[in-house]
Amino acid sequence: MFDRLLLLTLIIQAMAIAMLLYRVVKGPSIPDRVIAMDAIGIQLLAMMAVLSIYLRTSAFFEVILLLGILSFIGTVAITKSIRKGALVEYDRNR
Amino acid sequence: MRTNNLILQTVTKIVIFIIMTFAFFLFISGHNNPGGGFAGGMTTAAALVLLYLAYDVKTVHEGIPVDFKTLSLLGVFIAVVTGTSSLVMGKPFLNQSFGYYTLPLLGETELTTALLFDTGVAMAVVGMALTIIDAISKDISEDNCPWKP
Amino acid sequence: MYNLVVLPLLIPVLCGLLMGIFRKSIAFQKCLSLLSLLLTGAAAFYLVQQVSARGIQILELGGWQAPFGIVLVVDMLAALLLAAASLVSIACLLFAFKSIGPEREKYYFYPFLQFLIAGVNGCFLTGDLFNLYVCFEVMLVASYVLLSLGGSKPQLSEGIKYVVINVISSTLFLIAIGYLYGVLGTLNMAHLSLRIAAIGQTGLVSVIAILLLIVFSLKAALFLYFWLPGAYGALPPAIATIFAALLTKVGIYAIMRMFSLVFYHQPQITHDLLAVMAVLTMLIGGIGAVVHGDIRNIAAYNVVIGVGFVVFGWTVFTPAAVTGAIYYLIHDMLMKALLFMLVGTIIIIVGSSKLRDMSGMITHHPLLGWLFLISALALTGIPPLSGFVGKYLIIQEGLTRGAVHTGYYIGVAVGLLSTLMILYSLIKIFVRGFWGETTLSPDMEKGNTRGLILPCILLTAAGVFWGGGAELIYPYVEMAAASLLDPAIYIGAVLGEVI
Repeated sequence: MFDRLLLLTLIIQAMAIAMLLYRVVKGPSIPDRVIAMDAIGIQLLAMMAVLSIYLRTSAFFEVILLLGILSFIGTVAITKSIRKGALVEYDRNR
Repeated sequence: MRTNNLILQTVTKIVIFIIMTFAFFLFISGHNNPGGGFAGGMTTAAALVLLYLAYDVKTVHEGIPVDFKTLSLLGVFIAVVTGTSSLVMGKPFLNQSFGYYTLPLLGETELTTALLFDTGVAMAVVGMALTIIDAISKDISEDNCPWKP
Repeated sequence: MYNLVVLPLLIPVLCGLLMGIFRKSIAFQKCLSLLSLLLTGAAAFYLVQQVSARGIQILELGGWQAPFGIVLVVDMLAALLLAAASLVSIACLLFAFKSIGPEREKYYFYPFLQFLIAGVNGCFLTGDLFNLYVCFEVMLVASYVLLSLGGSKPQLSEGIKYVVINVISSTLFLIAIGYLYGVLGTLNMAHLSLRIAAIGQTGLVSVIAILLLIVFSLKAALFLYFWLPGAYGALPPAIATIFAALLTKVGIYAIMRMFSLVFYHQPQITHDLLAVMAVLTMLIGGIGAVVHGDIRNIAAYNVVIGVGFVVFGWTVFTPAAVTGAIYYLIHDMLMKALLFMLVGTIIIIVGSSKLRDMSGMITHHPLLGWLFLISALALTGIPPLSGFVGKYLIIQEGLTRGAVHTGYYIGVAVGLLSTLMILYSLIKIFVRGFWGETTLSPDMEKGNTRGLILPCILLTAAGVFWGGGAELIYPYVEMAAASLLDPAIYIGAVLGEVI
C-alpha cells in the first residue's frame, strides 16, 4: 500500500515536471523560464527523496544535497544576470 | 542603477557554511563512498562562486588573498609528490599505503596516503574553477591584460 | 617493477609545476628547466643502456598487475626515442633562452615546455591505449598554449584551426578506444594483441584500426597534413623547433607501435593503405617544398616529406627496412630541429622570412652558412652524414620487396624524387640566402645571433655522430626493430607473469 502511494507520488511529480517543461519552452518572459527551471530542480530533489524511500537506500542523499546547491546557485546566477547584466562584477560600489 | 542585494548577501552568509561543511564531508568520505577530491573541490568552488555572485571580485580577493593559479599548481604538485613518495620507499610509482590510528575525538581512524593525493586534487579543482571565474569576470581593458589589445 | 622507467615522465612534470609556482623568478625557471631536461636526458640514456643489457623494462603503476592496471613499458624503440627527444629539447631550450623574449617568459613559457616534453615522453613510455590518449592530451594542451602564447594575429588564426583539428581527432581517438573496449574488453596493448590473435582480426576490428589510423595520421601529418605548414609558419622559432622535432614523431611512433603490435594480421588492408598514404605524402610535401618562396613554409613542408619517408620505410616491413625507418626517424628528429633552428636564426637576422629579402649572408655569418649546408646535405642523405644509412636501407629493401609487389617500385621512385626535391628546396635557400651580393651590413641586421649558434652546433655534432658512428649505433637500432617486428617479445615482457 505504502509502496503504491510512493509510486503514485513519483508519477504525479513526473507529470509536474512535464508541465513545467511546457512553461520552460513556451514561457513568454525570461523570469517565467527561470522560475520553471528552479521548480524543475526542486521536483527532481523531491523525486530522488521519494525514490530513496521506495528503494530503502541512503545512497542518494549526497546527490540530493549537491543538486540542491547547484540548482540554488544556478537560479541566483541567472537572476543576477537578468537584473544586472553582468554575472560577476569587479567592484559592486562603482 | 544601483541595486542592493541585501537578501542574497544575508542568505549567502548562512548558506556558505552549509555548503562548505557538505564539501568537507564529500571530501572526507571519498575513499570508499561517492565523493573524493574532485567532488569536494567542485563543491567548495561552488560555494566560492556564490560569494562572487553575492559580493564582487574585489571583496572576495580581500577576504581570500590567494592566487588561484598558484593554488591549482600547488595542488597538482602535492598530488604528484604523494605519488612520488612511494619511489623513496622502493614501491612502484603511485603506490598507496594506509594504517589505523587512534585520534583524539574521532577514535580509531583509517588514514591513507590517498587522502593526501585527494587534497592535491581538491586544491587543483578549486584553483582551476576560480581561475576561470576570475578570467571571465575581468574587463579586458583593465591593466591586468597581458598583451596590448 | 622498475621505477627508473617513470622518471622521464615524472621529472618534467614536477619541475614544470615548481616553475609555475615560482613564476616571478625567471632565472630560477631557466636553471630548473635546464636541470630537469639534463636529468631526463641522463635517465633516458641510462634506460637505453639498461634495455640493451636486460631487455624490455616495465613498471606497473601503483602495483596493479598488467592487464588490470596501467603499465609503462620501455623497449629499445621507446628508449632511443626518449634519448633523442631529450637531446632535441635541451638544444631547443638553449635556443629559447636567447630568442623567446621576456613577455612569453613571464607568461608560463618554461612550465608549458616542460609539460609538452612530459606528454611526449609519456606517449613513448605507455603500454596502455587509454593512457596513450591521456598523454596525447597532455602534449596537445601544452601545445595549444605554446601556439597561442603571444596572441599575434596569425598565431590566433592558425591556432584556432590547429585546436579544432586536434579536438576532432581526439574525439575520434576516444570513440575508437570505446569501440575497441566494447569489442575486445581490454585496453592494455599487449593484451589487445593477444585477444586479436585469438579471435582473428575481424572486419569490425579492421574498421577500428582504420579509425585509429586516421587519428594518428592527423597527429603525424601523414597525408592529412594540411594544418601543419600554416601552424608551424605562425610560431616563433624556438617553439616551431620543438613542434617540428617532437609532435609529428609521436604520431609516427603511435602508428608504428599499434600497427606492428596489435593490428598486424591484415596487412593487405591497413599496411597497404599506409603505404599509399605515405607515398602521396612524400609527393605532396615535395611539391610544397619546391614551390614556396617563404623559408618557414619550405622547412614545414620538409617535415611532411620526412613523415612520408619514415612511414613508407616502415610499411615495407622487413627487418632491415624497419631498422632503416627507425634510423631515419631519429635522424629526422635531430635534423628537423636543426633545420628549424637555422631557419629561425636566419629570420632573426634578416627580419623577414621571404627568400627575396635575403642575400649574401655568408660574409658576416660563415658558421651559420656552413651549418646550414651540413644540415641540407644530411637531410638529403649524403653518405657520411646521418640521413644516408636510413635512406639506403629503406630504398634497398623497397626494391627487394618491389619484386614481389610492384607498387613498391613506385614508392621507391617517389622516395628518390622527394629526396631530390629536399635537396633542391634547401639548396635554394642556401644559394639565395648565403651567396650573392651582401645586402645586409652587420649594423643593419634586425637581431644578433649571440647564443643561437651553440645549440645548432650541438645538434650538428649529434647528427654527425648519428651518421658517422653508424657502426656503433646500428646494433641498438636493430634491436629496436627486432622487438617491433616480433610482438611476442613485447607481450612476454608485459604479461609474462600472467600467461
